[in-house]
Amino acid sequence: MNRTDALSQYLDLADENDALLNKDLRRTLWHIHNFGEAALGKIIANGWTPAQTTPPMCYPEALFGEDYGVNLARVPMPADVAASFRCGVPKLSSLLAIVANDAFTPTDALSANCPEGLTVTSLRSLEGELWRDAEEMMMDRADSPSPGAAINSLLLQDGVYIRTEAGTEVEKAVQVVNLFNSPVPLLTPRRVLVHAMPGSKVRVLLCDHSQTPSVAHCNIEVVDVWVEEDASVEIYDIEESSANTRRSWHLNVVQCAGSSLSVDTFFLAGGASQNNITVALAGPRAHTRLGGLAITSGSQQVDTQVQLYHRAPHCDSRQLFKSALFDTSRGGFGGCIVVDNGAVGTDAAQSNRNMLADPGTHMATAPQLEIYCDDVKCSHGATTGQLDERALFYMQTRGIPAEEARRMLTQAFMADVVDNISFEVLRQRMHVLVEKRLSGASASCDTCATACHGDTNPETVAE
Amino acid sequence: MDELLKVSGLRAGIEGKEILRGIDLTIKPGEVHAIMGPNGSGKSTLSGVLAGDPRFTVTGGTAMFHGVDLLSLSPEDRSHEGLFLSFQYPVEIPGVTMVNFMRAAVNAKRKYLNEEPLSAGDFLKLMRQKRAIVELDNKLASRSVNEGFSGGEKKRNEIFQMAVLEPRLSILDETDSGLDIDALRIVAGGVNKLKTENNATIVITHYQRLLDYIKPDFVHILYKGRIVYSGGPELALELEEKGYDWIKEQVDQQQNESL
Repeated sequence: MNRTDALSQYLDLADENDALLNKDLRRTLWHIHNFGEAALGKIIANGWTPAQTTPPMCYPEALFGEDYGVNLARVPMPADVAASFRCGVPKLSSLLAIVANDAFTPTDALSANCPEGLTVTSLRSLEGELWRDAEEMMMDRADSPSPGAAINSLLLQDGVYIRTEAGTEVEKAVQVVNLFNSPVPLLTPRRVLVHAMPGSKVRVLLCDHSQTPSVAHCNIEVVDVWVEEDASVEIYDIEESSANTRRSWHLNVVQCAGSSLSVDTFFLAGGASQNNITVALAGPRAHTRLGGLAITSGSQQVDTQVQLYHRAPHCDSRQLFKSALFDTSRGGFGGCIVVDNGAVGTDAAQSNRNMLADPGTHMATAPQLEIYCDDVKCSHGATTGQLDERALFYMQTRGIPAEEARRMLTQAFMADVVDNISFEVLRQRMHVLVEKRLSGASASCDTCATACHGDTNPETVAE
Repeated sequence: MDELLKVSGLRAGIEGKEILRGIDLTIKPGEVHAIMGPNGSGKSTLSGVLAGDPRFTVTGGTAMFHGVDLLSLSPEDRSHEGLFLSFQYPVEIPGVTMVNFMRAAVNAKRKYLNEEPLSAGDFLKLMRQKRAIVELDNKLASRSVNEGFSGGEKKRNEIFQMAVLEPRLSILDETDSGLDIDALRIVAGGVNKLKTENNATIVITHYQRLLDYIKPDFVHILYKGRIVYSGGPELALELEEKGYDWIKEQVDQQQNESL
C-alpha cells in the first residue's frame, strides 16, 4: 500500500462510521476527531516525508498500511484478560491501571489505594472541570501532528487521565499497562494525559504488552504531559511486545518554571517502533532529562526523534540515547535542540551512542542544534561503533566464551542508561531485563521477561 | 619428564607481514623460561599467537600443549586447558566489574571441566585468598576491570587473575614494564608463590631486572622472528652487560654468509 492509500483508509473509515465513532461522545472528542480529520487531510494533500534517519519499517505506509480493524463499536475485551495481569517487577507496589486494547479498565487495587490529590481515570468518564482540563490539553497540540498523531486524534475513543493536585507528592508509581489482546489485526488509538499541578510529584510507568503475539497490532499512543510550576514528573516507557506490533508513539511535554521532567524509554521487544518526543521548556529554571535504550535483533526497527525547545532562560537538559543492534535490525535517531532567542543561560547536552554487533545492522543518526541566543552552553555527540575487539579477546583469554563476553560487553555499554533511572526498584529490574534480553530469554512476548501473563497461560486467554 | 609445550617451526604474521619465522621451543613442567630480545623481534607476537590473538595469522608450524593441538583451540579453550597470558597492556573494560568478570571466568572454566558453578560464598573466599598473594586492594573488586587502575594495580591484577585460574603455563608479557621497584617486587613475589613443579612460566622481558626476582632456568634470545641463542641464567647477565648488539651482529653476519 502506498503512503496516501495507507493514510486515506482511516479518513474513509471515520467517514463511513461517523455515527458509530461519535456515539455517546461529548463535544470534545468530536473536536479532536475534526482536528484529526483536518490534519490527516492536510498531510495527505501536501505529502509527508519521514525524517532522513527514520528506517523504512517506521514509515507511515509500513506502520499503518495493513488492513487493521478499529474497535469503533467498543466491543469489550474479555474481562479476565485484564484481571489476570501480574506485573513481573518485584517489590513494585504500583497504582495499576490497565488499558485493554484501547479501553481503560479500572482495577480494584487502583480504586482502593488511590491517594488523595491523585486522579487516575478513563478519559471517557471525565466530568466538569477535569473534562475541560483534558480538553484543553488535547487541543493544545492537535494542530500540526505527524500522521500517527493525526490518526490518533481522528479515531480516539478512550485513554487515561492522570492528575496530581497542587503540592501532592504521589509516593507509589502510577502504572499504565497497555495490553493487546485480539483475535484479528487491530489498530488502537490511545491518549494518556498527565497533568501535574504546581509543586506536585508523580511517577508514571507505561508498559506495552501483547497477549496475542501472533496477531498484527498497530498501537498509536499520544501522551500529553503538562508539568506546572515546580512540579516533577517521571515517565518510564517500557516496550516489550511482539514482532507483529507496529508502534507510533508521541510524547508531548510542556514544562513550566522550576519544573523537572525525566523520561526513560526502553525498547526490549517489538516489531517496528516509531517514537517522537517533544519537550518545550516554557518556564525558566526547568530541568529535563531524557534517556533511551533500544536493544534490537532479528528484523526489528526502532526510530526515535527528539525535539527539545529551550524557550525560557536558565533551563538545563540532558539526553542520553543508546542502542545495541543485532542480526539485521535497524535504528534511527534524530535529535534537535532548539534554543530560542531569550533562552539565556541554557545548558543543553545530547548524546547518542550506538553499537552495531553484526554486519547486517544499520543505524542512522542526526543530532542537531539550532541556537538563536548567545550565552548558552550546548553540546551534542553521536557515535556508532562495534564491540571493543581487544576487550573481547582479553575476556576470552580468561576463559570467558566469546558469546558471553559479547553479552557482558553489550550490557556494560548499556549500563549508564539504566543507572540513570532514578526509580530504584525499576533500575534494579531493568538491569535484569537487559541481561535477560541479551541472553535471548525474552526475544518474544510469549516468554516475556516481565512475565505479565502471570499464572494464566496466554494461549487459553486468547481463546 | 613430559613436555608441557612443544613449539615447532612456528610461523606467524600480521596483515601479510611475517613476524615469526620458525620458532622452536620446548618447555617442561617446573621450568621457568625467559625470552629476551630487542624491540620488534617478535616477543609479543609469540605470546599473542600462543594465546590465540585474532590479529595474528599462523602460517606454519605447530604448538602442542600437553598433547593438545593449541593452535586449533579458541582463546577461551586455551585458557581452560591451562594457558594464561598476562598482558603487557591489560585492557580496560568500562561497565564490567572485576567481581562479575572473575565469576564469569571461574565458572566458564568449571563448566568446561564439567564442574558445578562455585557458590557465592566459596567464590568470595577464593577471591579473598588470591587477592592476598599480590596484596590487591579489596576495593578494586567493585570497580570496572582495569578502569582507572594505576600501572602497578593493573599488573598485580593480572597476577591475581593468574592465581585464581591456576594455569599450567603462564606467559608474562613484559610484566615489568611500567612498574616501580616496590610493585615489581610484589608482582614477582606473587609469581614465585604460584610456582610449583607441575606448572611452568615464560617470562618475556626486555631487561635483566625482572630476572633478579623471577629466576629463569633457561634464557632464549629472540631476534628477527627466530630464537637465535639459548642458554642458562648467565646469558641474561651477559646481555645486561653487553647489550643486544653482539647478538645482532653475529646473526646478521651468519645470514649474509648464507646468502
